Amino acid sequence: MIFQIDFKSGTPVYLQLVEQIRHAAASGGLRTGEPLPSIRPLAEELRVNRNTIAKAYAELESQGVIETVPGKGCFLKAVGSPLTKSARNDLLVQEIDRAVVAAHHLQISDAELLALVQKRLNVFERKNNVAND
Amino acid sequence: MKTETPVIEIQSLVRRYGKHDAVDGLSLNVGAGKCYGFFGRNGAGKTTTIKCLLNLLRPDSGNVRVFGLDPRKDEVAIKSRLAYVPDMVAFYPWMSVRETLEYLASFRRNWNEDIEKDLLNRFQLDATKKTSSLSKGQRTQLALIGAICPEPELLVLDEPTSGLDPIVRREFIETVIGAYQSGDPSRRTVFVSTHLISEFEGLIDEFTIIEQGRELLTMGADNARDRFKKIRARLPQESKVTLAGALSVKRNGRELEILANGNSEQLLAELKSHLPEELKVEALSLEEIFVASGILKKANA
Repeated sequence: MIFQIDFKSGTPVYLQLVEQIRHAAASGGLRTGEPLPSIRPLAEELRVNRNTIAKAYAELESQGVIETVPGKGCFLKAVGSPLTKSARNDLLVQEIDRAVVAAHHLQISDAELLALVQKRLNVFERKNNVAND
Repeated sequence: MKTETPVIEIQSLVRRYGKHDAVDGLSLNVGAGKCYGFFGRNGAGKTTTIKCLLNLLRPDSGNVRVFGLDPRKDEVAIKSRLAYVPDMVAFYPWMSVRETLEYLASFRRNWNEDIEKDLLNRFQLDATKKTSSLSKGQRTQLALIGAICPEPELLVLDEPTSGLDPIVRREFIETVIGAYQSGDPSRRTVFVSTHLISEFEGLIDEFTIIEQGRELLTMGADNARDRFKKIRARLPQESKVTLAGALSVKRNGRELEILANGNSEQLLAELKSHLPEELKVEALSLEEIFVASGILKKANA
């Protein structure tokens, strides 16, 4: 996995990592049972505090996205998430709220936002189909 | 829950040089396990502060505590638990790298030989070479090995990478993250004073900017990147804008570049009322925040 950290995005670094890993998991870039990079080499590579990486991994673990196998590392969990449906919806609502706020800042209308969402869903679906072929 | 003793605690530190107040009432706390940045212009008082931590200078007033101990009373106890890498490292020129490391190790209760071997290899240092024939970068690497092998609880770095080429600088930071940050995180604290803020950006948890002997700003890195924003806007006309409370405003005809400190929402609201053609918001890097803090100071004056 290749990570891109942007110190000028305003988002805390650990959250950027969380998002990128979740994105990779959702889009097939990281597959079930595949190991995540170890904390130390990743921290060295990105030149980021080890605590930051550890924080990202802890967050992903609490979200049920990854699991730690003692002595072996962190692995992507199977897609059958142990999170209840409502917990998963809550997480998604947070993301949706972020998009709604962004649209507001960028003066994009509600209708345009919904159209964009549909468009991105279509793109995502196409990418997943290609990845699974 | 018991609060852990801060690794470094500075309270209203004052230290004068003749009539000049090198440090004039500085306070800061460094919690265990943190990577703490100490930024300031030349002459702001950074090195004086560090010398007070190491008992190379005594405070005129105020308190300095390292591991909860007073450097004046418990100097050896403190120094046995920390390591210091200054900007100008010095070794006995006739000693080889190997001899230097053995000499440094002789003062330490603990010395991790695996780390020593690993780092000598990583830096490709010839253990038989005399230190006088090492380049500046190699001498800094040797100092870093000497600082990390005893596995100290606190690493104090004072401009450690100044004058080094970018490759050596990166390796330095990777080594601090890799070799030093092993083991129990609560026993690995870094206090780094540097101008090369952008390089240490990823490493820093919290920082203090010192200006003319006093703290100008103390903040967590994530919090700072959340508060300090750069807003770029292009308006359809050269309208009049107030932008009250902006840290700074640069204007070029229809284009504006505004720095905000925590009030970006208000400023954005005002800008949007002018129906801008383009509106971009960006966080500031720690280095940009440092530069902007100069403006903060003038604003608070």
